[in-house]
Amino acid sequence: MGDKRFKATSIVILVILAAMWLLPIYAMVNTSIKSQEEVAAQEYLRLPRKVMFNNYLTAFRALRVGLVNSAVITLPATAICIFLGSLAGYYLTMFEFKRSQLVFFWIVVASFLPYQIVLIPITTLIGWLNLMNSYVGLILIYVILNIPMGTLITATFFMKMPVAMQEAAALDGCKPFLFYRKILVPVSIPGMVSAAILVFVQIYNEFLLAIALTRGPKIKPVMPILAELKGSQIAQWHIQMAGAVIVSLFPLLIFILLSEYFISGLMAGYSKE
Amino acid sequence: MKYSKAYGFVFLTPVVIAVAVIYGMIIWNLVAAFTVWEGMRATWKFAGFLNFGNLFELRRFWVNVQNNFLWLFFFIVPTTLLGFILAYLFHGLRRAEKVFRQIFLYPMALAFIVTGTLWAWMYDPGSGLINSILGGLGINTAKLGWIALPNIAIFCMIFSAFWQYVGFALVIYMGAIRGLSDAMIEAANIDGAGHGRILFQIIFPNVGHGTLICTTMLAITTMKVFDLVWIMTGGGPGIRTEVLPYMMYRMTYSQHNIGMGAATSIVILVLAAAMVIPYSKWAISKWVR
Repeated sequence: MGDKRFKATSIVILVILAAMWLLPIYAMVNTSIKSQEEVAAQEYLRLPRKVMFNNYLTAFRALRVGLVNSAVITLPATAICIFLGSLAGYYLTMFEFKRSQLVFFWIVVASFLPYQIVLIPITTLIGWLNLMNSYVGLILIYVILNIPMGTLITATFFMKMPVAMQEAAALDGCKPFLFYRKILVPVSIPGMVSAAILVFVQIYNEFLLAIALTRGPKIKPVMPILAELKGSQIAQWHIQMAGAVIVSLFPLLIFILLSEYFISGLMAGYSKE
Repeated sequence: MKYSKAYGFVFLTPVVIAVAVIYGMIIWNLVAAFTVWEGMRATWKFAGFLNFGNLFELRRFWVNVQNNFLWLFFFIVPTTLLGFILAYLFHGLRRAEKVFRQIFLYPMALAFIVTGTLWAWMYDPGSGLINSILGGLGINTAKLGWIALPNIAIFCMIFSAFWQYVGFALVIYMGAIRGLSDAMIEAANIDGAGHGRILFQIIFPNVGHGTLICTTMLAITTMKVFDLVWIMTGGGPGIRTEVLPYMMYRMTYSQHNIGMGAATSIVILVLAAAMVIPYSKWAISKWVR
């Protein structure tokens, strides 16, 4: 069996597939810096003759309020999810608690069920609390829906801690919250970061609740605004693509710079590996 | 000595409340689906299976169900298969592994709305990327409507999700294959087994948990594809790309028929729970020692 031949073939296949996977993003960025005339010529793969950063200004102007709204909603929601979720993860993994399996089970089920099924009660609840079209309403709902995931991922990491460490701290009279703050959090920073990235990306990329719980542009996060950009400027691909790049910049940067955390978060969150 | 439970029960309370709210909302939805609605107004009068009966009479509902099953099959099988094969190919080349992994994984960081915007442009019959490339090669693209063609629109949409999720299948299988012993693969290699045989008769049966994780997670994803439908086609042409969550949204907010919207959610709940509950049982039994 020619192992060299196999290696060569597999590299060729991989390169072709990789090109297919990169083509959309290349075309997207390439088109986003072209002038309207060049876009109309439809030679999408050719590099631009003239680079038009103006497209980004146009797109940014349309998305600015949405980006600010997304930051105002996503950052606190993520922080709350990770803080409260990790406390629960700590409790479930390190305390004497007989029901912890059962509680885990219902948390896992809640985190996997598609949240679309509770859209109607969510809008009813938020309307009843008078929180329609408010930051607080969206933050509240995102926290409720993502806390299970925050708990599960942090718990997965806490489980790998040596039990002896916590037992020694308890014997020395270290209070539970002090142990959490001074020992557990500092040593499980990678787990916390993984959980935060996954929850952040999930909330930032969310669309259905962002349209269902907002009216008008004041509170609207960036994803619905990008969707409207597509609706309003039907043939202006270059502006749409510039908008898509701007919106994806943050998650992609996180992915590129922190990909190990991103992957371990995915693994812990979905597979419980 | 573990900490006693009473001490830190306050740690658990916020999550218990959140999870209780989620299940509370599911129960509310269940009640709503079995009661009479006057447009958007609840009467809380028991309606039996009235809403479900109305729903099941709609041809639209069955088209949606069929579309959901198309998603289940044509999304899960190719994504899992390519992810698995890629993971095997990666196994052979340790150094380049990291670069290639990033290339297939980056779409996972994108929002469905971004993927949808991008692929709606790729597929655009008049000015899209695919037809411009094919046109450049001298192919007549007049009949290649992609996402605009009723018969293939849903497959075009599924392909864009496939593009986005292959990286997910890849990392799951990379983890699973790494857990196998190299000796097993080496031995098969020495025995002269071809790569196809090694892949499907030796490795595949031994990464069952990876396959289970992968297919279940992808199946749950198919229940969430609302955003892609919204941004790429709005359910069209006609209702050919509609899926249940999309119909649920339309029933509730465009047709103001909450009773049937709630009944649709319950259908989705039943389909999702049939996958989620057994999977969660399995995951917990493996996970909590």
